[in-house]
Amino acid sequence: MEIDLDKVPKKYEGLDGTELAISESQERMAVVVAKENADKFISLAEEENIETTIVAKVVEEPRVKMYWRGKLIVNLSREFLSTNGDVKKSNIKVLKPDYENSYFAKKAESNDIEKTWKETIQDLNCCSQRGLVERFDSTIGAGTVLMPYGGKYQLSPQEGMCSRIPTLKGYTDTGTIMTYGYNPEIALWSPFHGAVFAIVESITKYVAIGGDYKKAWLTLQEYFEKLRDDPSRWGKPFSALLGAYYVQEKLGIVSIGGKDSMSGSYNELDVPPTVVSFCVGTVDIKNVISTEFKNKNSKVLILRTKLDNDYLPDFDDLKENYEIIHKLINEKKVISVSTVRNGGIAETITKMCIGNKIGFKFEKDIDVCYPMYGTFIMELAKDVDIPKAEILGKTTDSQDIRIKNTVLDINELIELWEEPLEKVFPSKVDIQKEKCENISSNKKQIISRTIKIAKPRVFIPVFPGTNCEYDSTKAFQDAGAIVNVGIFKNIKTNDIQDSIDEFAKQIQDAQIIMIPGGFSAGDEPDGSGKFISAVFRNPRLKDLIHKHLYEKDGLMLGICNGFQALIKLGLLPYGDIMEMTDKMPTLTFNDISRHQSKMVRIKLVSKLSPWFSQIELGEEFIVPISHGEGKFVANDQALKELIENGQIATQYIDLEGNATYNIDYNPNGSVYAVEGITSKDGRILGKMGHSERCYTGITKNIPGNPDMKIFESGVKYFTY
Amino acid sequence: MVKRIFVQKKEEYDVEAKGVLSDLKNNLQIKNLDDLIILNRYDVEGISDKAFEKAKNTIFSEPQVDICYQEEYPKNPNDHIFGVEFLPGQFDQRANSLSECLQIITGGEKLVSKSAKIYILRGNLSHEEVEKIKAYLINPVDSRECSLEKPKTLQEKMTKPEDVKIVKGFTEMTDENVKEFYEKYGFAMDIEDLKFCQKYFRDQEKRDPTMTEMKMIDTYWSDHCRHTTFMTKLEVIDIKWDLLEKIFQDYKKSREYVYENKKAKDICLMDIATIAVKELKKRGLLKDLDESEEINACSIKANIMVDGKEEEYLIMFKNETHNHPTEIEPFGGAATCLGGAIRDPLSGRTYVYQAMRVTGAGDPRKPISETLPNKLPQRKLTNEASRGYSSYGNQIGLATGQVAEIYNDGYIAKRMEIGALIGAAPSKNVIREKPIPGDIIILLGGRTGRDGCGGATGSSKAHNSESLKTCGAEVQKGNAPEERKIQRLFRKEEVTRTYQEMQ
Repeated sequence: MEIDLDKVPKKYEGLDGTELAISESQERMAVVVAKENADKFISLAEEENIETTIVAKVVEEPRVKMYWRGKLIVNLSREFLSTNGDVKKSNIKVLKPDYENSYFAKKAESNDIEKTWKETIQDLNCCSQRGLVERFDSTIGAGTVLMPYGGKYQLSPQEGMCSRIPTLKGYTDTGTIMTYGYNPEIALWSPFHGAVFAIVESITKYVAIGGDYKKAWLTLQEYFEKLRDDPSRWGKPFSALLGAYYVQEKLGIVSIGGKDSMSGSYNELDVPPTVVSFCVGTVDIKNVISTEFKNKNSKVLILRTKLDNDYLPDFDDLKENYEIIHKLINEKKVISVSTVRNGGIAETITKMCIGNKIGFKFEKDIDVCYPMYGTFIMELAKDVDIPKAEILGKTTDSQDIRIKNTVLDINELIELWEEPLEKVFPSKVDIQKEKCENISSNKKQIISRTIKIAKPRVFIPVFPGTNCEYDSTKAFQDAGAIVNVGIFKNIKTNDIQDSIDEFAKQIQDAQIIMIPGGFSAGDEPDGSGKFISAVFRNPRLKDLIHKHLYEKDGLMLGICNGFQALIKLGLLPYGDIMEMTDKMPTLTFNDISRHQSKMVRIKLVSKLSPWFSQIELGEEFIVPISHGEGKFVANDQALKELIENGQIATQYIDLEGNATYNIDYNPNGSVYAVEGITSKDGRILGKMGHSERCYTGITKNIPGNPDMKIFESGVKYFTY
Repeated sequence: MVKRIFVQKKEEYDVEAKGVLSDLKNNLQIKNLDDLIILNRYDVEGISDKAFEKAKNTIFSEPQVDICYQEEYPKNPNDHIFGVEFLPGQFDQRANSLSECLQIITGGEKLVSKSAKIYILRGNLSHEEVEKIKAYLINPVDSRECSLEKPKTLQEKMTKPEDVKIVKGFTEMTDENVKEFYEKYGFAMDIEDLKFCQKYFRDQEKRDPTMTEMKMIDTYWSDHCRHTTFMTKLEVIDIKWDLLEKIFQDYKKSREYVYENKKAKDICLMDIATIAVKELKKRGLLKDLDESEEINACSIKANIMVDGKEEEYLIMFKNETHNHPTEIEPFGGAATCLGGAIRDPLSGRTYVYQAMRVTGAGDPRKPISETLPNKLPQRKLTNEASRGYSSYGNQIGLATGQVAEIYNDGYIAKRMEIGALIGAAPSKNVIREKPIPGDIIILLGGRTGRDGCGGATGSSKAHNSESLKTCGAEVQKGNAPEERKIQRLFRKEEVTRTYQEMQ
């Protein structure tokens, strides 16, 4: 290979040959292309607004050569580079772990069930991490089968993740599951057992979701202290990897990849011997189930796996249990399954109860806070006989957990469970607001189409940072539209002008313009939608948008980042691109000052817009949100007008259907709980909730109807 | 000419300043801090008055939520004021986006701009307290306190780099000299490797190496890239535990079966980690495994039904840690953990659609005063890292289906930051051919800067109390929108069918 480093594009001048040779980055890649394909590849990349440069060629001679400023500065044989240096040697020493003080030999310190139970769920490794989890977009791609927290209250943590496989065209019911397993307390006691149980935990969770253990695959992450020249330190990863080898052989499931990081030391302090196991496999998403209890008065069983004298799972027993659970799930005989882990039955039952606030009554007094692995708790669909499983108890219609004479209130348990990390990862805000008013407008649709079009065209512009265009495109195509995606380019000198020309053409051809979600230009500088609004403020595009709306009877839609852009242009709520003043409504940072991702309930409160023609006033939906700047704000005067005009389209609501400022339901603190608004004639709709991610069959663990039929409504405006 | 603008959020919208104020008061225990104001400062060079006016209320600020000050901002005589900017060479998404937005207004070349954050502290604060706040808010690995003066120009003075040096006399160095050389340049490889290089240059190349060659070999052979520890030959194995001894014997039997008459590999951690898959493969039990010479990610085959028609897909998954970079600069480290992990299945031509994040930390509720010297507090680490990872994932548009943090005091030694992901693509789109002479190598995506140098070697070095001070150039800030473009590109069938291999 011969590389010309002078060709490498630089962020700034002053980099020397060495820096150019060794700098790495995730947003830069090199591809090998046959000479005759190079031009085609480059032009395809340029269409996607990517800078490309030919920097090297493949040569016969097996050497790596790099030239810089005309000089050969690297000239090495590949063979030498591939030796990976000098062969290193080390020795191993392993002692038997202390069986007397085994992790599994620990006993509960107290006989007070209530106290032990509460301590268990407040343990740092059991308590809620919702304030952390909700920062991550969990629904983009419209394939999320299981939300991280299940149930009506979105509180029950799931065993792992599951998503539909993405297809550019059409849909599949095949999904992929990934779970993880690792408990540092086991690994600190015995690195060998640490790895064994990491793998068992990951596979057990995978089976609980619906995976077939015979079709599971593993990839392991090792993370250990610096081993130095100490055979005992070397003994830790050695034992752990033999543990991993042992489980793989026993179960016939193999690890086909992995990464190691062997630098976890700081002076005399070491990380615990870490092997995190990830279990992956495909599944029919129709058979995927979640952890939260679904019904009252269901029979709940426990299926345990035996441990032998070496504190290892009886693998025949474990395999049999995996088969039993898999069959029960596929035959739809169980409706909720969860695994038992570090926090024992107490942790699992608590987490299964809170999602829908369904109570539980234990059949008999048992040890509930003892750690167990390879063990399942399941809620039966109806009474079926599973000889190997024991009856644990029954779900109840009171919001409490009863064991012997102890009664634990579910709402109190939730509070306790959420408390330990609330200050580190807040999920609530300390802002007092007055009561939120429900809106219900009697305005009817006032615009109607002028020409019937069989297949309306939708233009979806893509800016650097846009990321919802795939989902939006599919949503419109499913509704019967023809979608044209246009990429805004800004790499080469003429790109901006060319892109504006291209957008102008697309706007003229389209009946609908949809600005999708994402983070245009990373939502910078310090505010969302600025890049998009700068583009549409171009005088020519501004004029064409006006014509699109008011001469050509066009519609416009903006979701999330698209909504932010519409507001920052003035298109919402004013229907035109205009200068911003401090009197205008806007969207700003969420009250909680971070990204929020979850499902929220919303209600249609005005039928003014044709975008809602297929649903009823007052109808309630549950839709995914994922944003950091979704708080709608407006002064009293502007609000009054919006309400009078029927421009407030949707409100965030609580479980009773009322508009609210409670952060559990109104995720950003929007005034009047506004989720979406329209222009005065209803032609333009902007909303925060990602309706394009609402394809049926996903978010299975959240009850409610996600489909607002927005895309059908938009298309039907022209076809009906 | 440089134009300067300060933007402050109106009080009712200033969630950031309120958050920092409460953090400083409650966690850093600065009781006398009464108020805190944050201003975003932007400097732009070469912008016309007209364009600047236009940008004021649309790009720099929004009149609904911001207050905008040109050149100067109101202050009190007793205010404690300082500013923070990224180190030169660090990717500053804010300034970069500003330049891109302004370019749309001007229609011309991309303008040079810079951003900084100005903190105004109010209250009866001692010098020590102000310094304590600065130390808490500024991570020297990626940022520094900036001058409050406006510069005459934003153009960095770049001296023309010197020619690459040749390590004169390397092949002739005595062991003593090699040791000196080794210590002077802080290599990640060990001294035996360096001697191995010396032998190669002396006996085969018959010349002294260039400095570039030495740095390149160091990167290529770092533990990060070549698994030095995992490839280390294990010689004397002393097991005083029957159970493990028996399993070790089983492992040796697996080796006999796998390697049969072929030359057996050395017993090493890598061999123990991979023997099971080799054995089961040989027994013919892994039919769905997708094998190729490319080794970027795990790959399996799956027949899936798409709208009732069967199609073969490749499913690739991958896990990656960025423990070291995250420990010293949590935001960038965790962001690039994800960005780097995405690159692997992406280079296997699959579209990444699912991510999991598993991390390890010490108790983040511990008071900041208990933080070890030259370490960041756990609370700050975990929060900044989650901000970094989520910011990258949310921007690139990747659904993160599970996020879990494991707590153990051992992770105070070094945070664990794992990203694991899954990608998929129709098998027919993945063409794998060996490169042949005459093939062209195309570089695409973001430009090269100094921030990506030394990532691999840095994470492989042993760390001590000095780490936080000296690792500056080793951290990167990812550019998610740029990697997202590559994802879009490689999702196109016509693209994946035009090239053979990538890295």
